[in-house]
Amino acid sequence: MTKLVPGLNPITLEVLWNRILAVVNEQQVALIRTAFSTVVRDSQDLACGVFDQRARMVAQSMTGTPGHINAMATGMKHFMKAFPPETLSAGDVLITNDPWQTAGQINDFTVVTPIFKLGRPIAYFATCCHAPDIGGRVFSAEAKEVYEEGLRIPIMKLFVAGVPNDVLINIIRSNVRTPDETIGDLYAQMSSNAVGGRSLLRLLEEFSLNDIEALSDAIIDRSERAMRLAIRSLTNGTYTHETWTDGFDDPILIKVTVTIRDEDIDIDFGGSSPQSRWGINVVLNYTHAYASFAMKAAICPDVPHNDGAFAPVHVSAPHGCILNCIDPAPVASRNIIGHFLPCVIFSALAPVLPGRLIANGADPLWMSVWRGKRLTGEPYIFTVFQCGGSGARSTKDGLNATGFPSGVAGVPAEVIESLTPIVLHRRELRTDSGGPGMQRGGLGQWTEFGSRSAADWQVSPLIDRTKFPASGTAGGGFGAAGEFILTDGRQAQPKSIVLLEPTTRVQLNLPGGGGYGSPHERPVEIVLADVVNGYVSLEAAVRHYGVVVRYLGAPSQLVRLPKDYAVDWAATEKLRAA
Amino acid sequence: MTHNNSGAAENAAESKFRVGVDIGGTFTDLFLLNDATHEFVVGKILTTPQDPSEAIEAGLREILAQANVPAQSIRQIIHGTTLVANALIERKGAPTALLATDGFRDATEIGREQRYELYDLMLEMPQPLVPRHLRFDIPERILSDGSIHQELDVAHVERLAHELQAAGFEAVAIAFLNSFINPQHECAARDAVARVAPTIRVSISSEVAPEIREYDRTSTTVANIYVQGRVEDYLRELGARMGALGVGGSLLLMLSSGGVATVETAVRFPVRLLESGPAAGVLAAAAFGAKVGAGMGQVDGLANLLSFDMGGTTAKFAIIDRGQPLISHDFEVDRRYRFRKGSGLPIKTPVIEMIEIGAGGGSIARVNSLGLLKVGPESAGAQPGPACYGHGGSLPTVTDADLILGYLNPDFFLGGGIALDVSGARRAVDEHIAQPLGLSIEQAAWGIHQIVNENMASAARVHAIERGKDPAGLPIFAFGGAGPVHAFRVAAALGAPSVVIPFGAGVMSAIGFLTAPLAFDFARSLPVKLEGSSLDWPRINGLLGEMQAEGRALLQASGVLPQDISHTCSVEVRYAGQGHEVGVVLPDDLLSADHLPAIRATFEAEYLRLYSRLGPPVPLEAITWRVVSSSPKPALSLVRSHLNQSIASHPDDARKGTRPAYFPEVGGMTETPVYDRYALAKGMCISGPAIIEERESTLIIGSGATAAVDELWNIILTHD
Repeated sequence: MTKLVPGLNPITLEVLWNRILAVVNEQQVALIRTAFSTVVRDSQDLACGVFDQRARMVAQSMTGTPGHINAMATGMKHFMKAFPPETLSAGDVLITNDPWQTAGQINDFTVVTPIFKLGRPIAYFATCCHAPDIGGRVFSAEAKEVYEEGLRIPIMKLFVAGVPNDVLINIIRSNVRTPDETIGDLYAQMSSNAVGGRSLLRLLEEFSLNDIEALSDAIIDRSERAMRLAIRSLTNGTYTHETWTDGFDDPILIKVTVTIRDEDIDIDFGGSSPQSRWGINVVLNYTHAYASFAMKAAICPDVPHNDGAFAPVHVSAPHGCILNCIDPAPVASRNIIGHFLPCVIFSALAPVLPGRLIANGADPLWMSVWRGKRLTGEPYIFTVFQCGGSGARSTKDGLNATGFPSGVAGVPAEVIESLTPIVLHRRELRTDSGGPGMQRGGLGQWTEFGSRSAADWQVSPLIDRTKFPASGTAGGGFGAAGEFILTDGRQAQPKSIVLLEPTTRVQLNLPGGGGYGSPHERPVEIVLADVVNGYVSLEAAVRHYGVVVRYLGAPSQLVRLPKDYAVDWAATEKLRAA
Repeated sequence: MTHNNSGAAENAAESKFRVGVDIGGTFTDLFLLNDATHEFVVGKILTTPQDPSEAIEAGLREILAQANVPAQSIRQIIHGTTLVANALIERKGAPTALLATDGFRDATEIGREQRYELYDLMLEMPQPLVPRHLRFDIPERILSDGSIHQELDVAHVERLAHELQAAGFEAVAIAFLNSFINPQHECAARDAVARVAPTIRVSISSEVAPEIREYDRTSTTVANIYVQGRVEDYLRELGARMGALGVGGSLLLMLSSGGVATVETAVRFPVRLLESGPAAGVLAAAAFGAKVGAGMGQVDGLANLLSFDMGGTTAKFAIIDRGQPLISHDFEVDRRYRFRKGSGLPIKTPVIEMIEIGAGGGSIARVNSLGLLKVGPESAGAQPGPACYGHGGSLPTVTDADLILGYLNPDFFLGGGIALDVSGARRAVDEHIAQPLGLSIEQAAWGIHQIVNENMASAARVHAIERGKDPAGLPIFAFGGAGPVHAFRVAAALGAPSVVIPFGAGVMSAIGFLTAPLAFDFARSLPVKLEGSSLDWPRINGLLGEMQAEGRALLQASGVLPQDISHTCSVEVRYAGQGHEVGVVLPDDLLSADHLPAIRATFEAEYLRLYSRLGPPVPLEAITWRVVSSSPKPALSLVRSHLNQSIASHPDDARKGTRPAYFPEVGGMTETPVYDRYALAKGMCISGPAIIEERESTLIIGSGATAAVDELWNIILTHD
């Protein structure tokens, strides 16, 4: 069998690196297949990774969500400090949901399993998942302190040498609204780590290795070098950008200063709004996670992600600012701010990476937490994730109803309806919501929720871009702003708990992405096709694109084919010339 | 040609010839088998893409003449085709309209709302088969309990159907929300279309893929009707050609699941034919595996195997478990982004579980930004092809590396059909790999060979582990043009105990068709907690009985005798509240509370194997109950009488010569003996390093391994 020679040659390294990436993908597959909540198994609000003895992330699984992945990477250092190797035994499983130590939100459980070989921990498998409920107030931005947001668990042992810590498990069970799902998901996280550990041990045996330290050195060094090389290709300088976001009551300013110095990048958020009274604050871990994700996507997307990719990226934010909030600030809806960071950074970097970045998109994932009573009278609580349009690219339109930067998936209407009395009345692409441009921004969605139950119900919509739509790039226009509408005519505050009558319906209309380049440069035939397909209305084609399209069919016609439309070229040329 | 089932039953007793026909991208393979004598004839002719039935007719004439058998004595033709896959990948189906619940016409475009790759800012999502202007909102709504919230507006459907027909449309997919619970509105809408526009073909989602999740179900239904016209036209043409030839027997179609179906079923659900060719290869692996080692003291054969099919652009692996391929109900066609899950169109039909990766002879090697050597998934394809083809390709590929390493014979590639240019291969590897990495050309070529092997081994390993199998325990069954070249090293990387290289590796799928039983599978959704008192056992037993009766009826109608029919019942179980299940095979007798401990024990054992630890202490729930009804598997046995090839009496007589080939264990380039596979006799053994050549492939035997020929002319490689 192949023996690993010291001083890994590029071919052996490639072999082992591939192998370890396969191991974390197995870990993720096991997590999704054993999970209980739709948050994990359908929406995949999760991250998986493997860490070496020095708490460095060596590999992460293929998908997942950047906020979790990178925050978990920082969090591992805290785990190691709380439980040094000598305090661990085989069969131990560690847990925490402390926002400041891990993913910045009390719903996010990080579960860590040390893997033993020759009697010592030689690697750690970790997963981070959003729990369907963690007690406290129902998930919203209305808490004033983190204590209201749910049960906070310091870094502890969930299993001790293979035996469940029943005290802790019982405490969690009796503090949450969904005990079976919350605990079930923790078991899934443990299974997933165990599957990863099993495969890693096989790999070590096959290559006659006792640990992964030499391998992680090589992986991390190579990745760091590639990242540094990519930074070196950028022009040194300081680049800034700022953007306003909805906030809770008052708008929030996010300001970034990116400094490129040879092989290092400093990203500083000085000048951003101070921390909020409401639960939209971001811990530095999470700020770091999205800032470093943005840099990697911008300059080095094809290098596997690990500790090496973080090394040249230095992230800072003033203590007490919204992007480095102080314990016990409320943090439940931190993604509402954190998901803006990649596009804010891209905007700052636009001058040094022309044509390579994307316009602003819907950015924050929309999350709504629904609560009410089933037809049988039992209470339910259910989380729905939704995505608006992403920003246009220099050579391609933005993606319709597809998340960026989050990697979370939506939930099928039929799954929502099979588990709750909620009825979806609409889920449709939102005409004209994509920002006009030579490349069009991605479309958002129109969605409408109702309830079959005769009981009152409530929603907590953690949504953004209802006041500040996504701006375009290089002459591209704005995407449409998001909308939160109650059919009973009441005005309601996003990010708060809104009580609903049984007959009220809730419309969540998701924002579109910004456009790229001047809409007048979009080829007329493509604008025509957009009109035929209802991505762009006849009116918007004239208004934004300067293209006059005439519908030639009968008004009552249901089937409207491309041949039923014609471009008025004379009018179009006149408009576009103006 | 008759598709009449009772006719097939009558013929079954008398005639003994069966034919397997596989249409591939380049060649159409035929395999004629005499079930009485086990003699066979192989045919291989160029595929005729404009009308694939033309090549079949020509091929049939050829093998019938060769075997001197009249067309009338063919009992059965079993056929698989890539027609469905090609129509979907090349988007060459019928212009199709989609009728969806009002407000949900964009399900196939909104998809999962998730990027399948985190960091690539330029990625694109799969394009729906039906453009948005042909997706229509239909007023109607059924809720998750099957109750009707809003009645179907039949008049609206009729108006729409009328307009669609007037505009020349021939295909309509209907997919309404919650139709898998209550298909009433879908059926009514289908009937409305049929009334107004009888020439329009219609598929409804509650028949094509009656499963929860609107995106997957709609996508499958659309794909089904999108290709239906092409499949029907083709099968009609084929039937006509067979009729003209005077073929007497029945035509059956291979399904992705490895079962076979009548023409009628195939035309109704063409999307189930999607993976028929690859599925047949896996079936052949299972059938051959069962007999491997015949005459070598291994009476039981190999019931557990890893099937490994490596061709020009991709490699496919499948697991054979206790003689059966594993079945999945999740599949994606046309993955556009490095075979990445999420970049294709979801298809929810039973399919033999396979992992396919971009690793083949044409896979391109390059040095990436990290200074590491990468191979694939990009492929040089057939045009320009590998550098050594001399068709203008300048990038180094796996085939170029294999040629430099001496594994391929430049003068005997595809039996001498293509002359390979060694210096072109060396130039490409030198410029793009050896120089940037500071390696010799041989070292670079060896690196390419090793990395493509590792890529394949890694994919196979994840696939095996995801299914709870230990890859190190599975012998490899290698076929496809490049399979035997790479099998030895892939096996070493996986720790596989042995490698089997079948005789006739070039027509494996055509052989596989003849090993499939006639089978139908059924599923019913009945979620229940698996807890003592509350369980309605009579209802469950009734459900299983119903499905068995349906299966029995269909099989008997297809000519299977009642005593030959068997049923396998299973149920999908999970911890209450989970979203994914583990399949548990049920005992044959009537179920009762007494079976609960055994069901739980089987579930837990399987769960532990898959996920390393048990779930929380909560009850189990059963979700879907399944029955597979099948006829007995045809026995496969081959006698090589038609080969007319002189067989050597000693391995040395089968030796064609020697050439230098790369074996690092013995110091690099080594003068290596080359054998002619057709001259090797049963029972012969050859020690590595050695090369065995046949027309469609080359077998590389590393040092420390021995190759032995068994009764079925399989070559079995084992470590010394």
